[in-house]
Amino acid sequence: MATASHVVSQPRSSMLGARIREAGWGYGFVVVPIVVFGLFFVYPFGYALYISFFHWGILGKQSGGAGTFNYAKVIHDPVFHTAVKNVLEYTVGVVPLTMALGLSLALVINQKIHGRNFFRSAFYFPSIASSVAITTIALYIFNANGLFNHIIGSRTPWFQNAPTVMWAIVGLNSWTSAGTAMLYYLAALQSIPTDVYEAAAVDNTGAWRTFWKITFPLLRPAHFFILVVFGIGALKLFDQAFIVSNGLGGPNYSTYTPVFYIYRTAFTTFDFGLAASAGVVLFVIIFALTLVQRLTVGRQEAS
Amino acid sequence: MRKRLGVILGLLIAVVLLAATAQAGTRGANVTNVTLAGWSSGPDEDTLLNQVVAKFNATHPTIHATFTVINGDYPTAMTARFAAHNPPDVFYVDSSVIGAWERQGVVQPLNTYVKSTKFDTSAFFPKLLGAFQSGKTIYGFPKDWSPLAMEVNKGLLGQAGGKAPTNWSTLLKVAQTMKSKNLTPGGAPICLSPDWARMLAFVYQAGGSLSSITSPAAAAAVNFYVGLLKNGLAETPTQLGVDWCGTALGKGKSAIIFEGNWLLPFMKSTYPNVQYGVFPMVKDKTGGNLAFTVSYSMAKDSPNKQAAWTLLSWLVGKQGQTLWMSKGLALPSRKDVKAIGGRQNFLAAAPYAVGWGFGNPNFSTAYTVMNNDLTAVIAGSKSVSSMLSDIASALKGG
Repeated sequence: MATASHVVSQPRSSMLGARIREAGWGYGFVVVPIVVFGLFFVYPFGYALYISFFHWGILGKQSGGAGTFNYAKVIHDPVFHTAVKNVLEYTVGVVPLTMALGLSLALVINQKIHGRNFFRSAFYFPSIASSVAITTIALYIFNANGLFNHIIGSRTPWFQNAPTVMWAIVGLNSWTSAGTAMLYYLAALQSIPTDVYEAAAVDNTGAWRTFWKITFPLLRPAHFFILVVFGIGALKLFDQAFIVSNGLGGPNYSTYTPVFYIYRTAFTTFDFGLAASAGVVLFVIIFALTLVQRLTVGRQEAS
Repeated sequence: MRKRLGVILGLLIAVVLLAATAQAGTRGANVTNVTLAGWSSGPDEDTLLNQVVAKFNATHPTIHATFTVINGDYPTAMTARFAAHNPPDVFYVDSSVIGAWERQGVVQPLNTYVKSTKFDTSAFFPKLLGAFQSGKTIYGFPKDWSPLAMEVNKGLLGQAGGKAPTNWSTLLKVAQTMKSKNLTPGGAPICLSPDWARMLAFVYQAGGSLSSITSPAAAAAVNFYVGLLKNGLAETPTQLGVDWCGTALGKGKSAIIFEGNWLLPFMKSTYPNVQYGVFPMVKDKTGGNLAFTVSYSMAKDSPNKQAAWTLLSWLVGKQGQTLWMSKGLALPSRKDVKAIGGRQNFLAAAPYAVGWGFGNPNFSTAYTVMNNDLTAVIAGSKSVSSMLSDIASALKGG
């Protein structure tokens, strides 16, 4: 009996050992990323959540107890409302434009044309160039006496004029990030099986119809991915808004964004509690919008 | 294997020990190291400050000061250092943020050091020292400063009668003459920044002040300033297609601008052929001007406060400031130090120019509101009275 149980238990225990060893190796490989993630994401996030309930200055907790007063202040602050409105307008403008541009470029690059490697690099180049450098150059091109106004015969200071500045940033950023969208679309285009196109060709379907009825729907996973990633990025707009307004969010709060609000509250007012609560509110907004996208576009994708 | 590890470890320890003793050797036994930090306004200024610091080190064998430039966003970088309890011992503080930093408890009050070393504070222009005082507590000594002045293109002024404006009404008259004679084609006679850092001087000229910003005098000044822009006698740098009014003067797009001492080196290097004169700011009911000033202050967390005070008091003392003024990059904050030539119309404002910061801890936050609202007023989408009440509330921390 004892022998039998020994015989049975041996492979079981060695299997368990192997599984533990395997798990050990697995965890061993992910331990560094998990520590980095914990240290630079989970811990700061938790800490920000904590300080958002206090009056918090440069040197830490200040007098006054804990409470949700920072949240009340952020939620009722008209400047924060303007910031959210600005960034939502920007997102609604920049994301579809970037997707349309990225998809158009990807369709061109996907053709068997001469020098397509050159064009691929050329279109992608704005995405890797420094946003600060690009914005600074754009400020010159689009100022009242700039090249752009010379061409169109206008005197509008596009980046210093409250009604136009956000749209100028939309134009600038959709151009710079179209290259990245192009890469995602290119990968998706190349994963579409060729037999569906062959079938369409057999049926004598026109190019326009093929695109709308076959290519576009089959790119749905890419649409969803780009919508989510670029949408989140757009809601966190900061650097271009900072540069064009000289760090003031103007003119007339037209370039004030939630991240800019967080920055000003933390490093000009030194109210880190309020800044942290604005950060949490922004997180909730982004999370909610991503969830909505997941439930609408994402569900269609799954089906 | 173990033996080899031991040898490597031993070698490593020896190298570390050697480096440490070498370091200690260069510093000497009784030398206190003091760190000095500020931003950079250009290579000329960095070189000059390093020369000043070298002179300090040469005359103070027991203290070794090193100057570090903090590039980029200075207040943000300093905030990180304060929060880490590892700030530089002595550092620049702009008068606009001193109130906020003082309230955060990161700047050392200097009164006890002033008293114990009998440091003479009467040599400083009171308004400039006042920019770094809260009541009687001193949080820094002004290292230099600049007020605004009126800079006028001499050739164009000659064609418009030759007499520089001295008050609001003559300013209007000269500008109108310039406009009617089309002396600044493609531009405007005056360049005005949509910035309270210029307009506030007019508020003080009208007899108003930042603390009484909702007063009729303040509203009158805003109406005058914005009125110049609305009736075409003035344009903003943006409308003129330039980055700031200095360029507008250089390119002849405007004949009259209101800028500080910083304009002089810019014009010399960028537009050396433009003939312009520096005149005192125009007046209205009274003289009004702003003093843009920066202090040397000490960190509350400094571990070497006595040595830091020695450095600070030497830098703002007569000897240190005389050296600092030798290239005319700034104006002296002490009455007993001479500015280099051509600065008298700037220095004339010293008795009445008000420190940019106005002793209000909420000032740097309110400044965002001030300029955003001003652009709305200029665009016509906000009333002057609503802007002024926004500002009053922001100054109270609302």
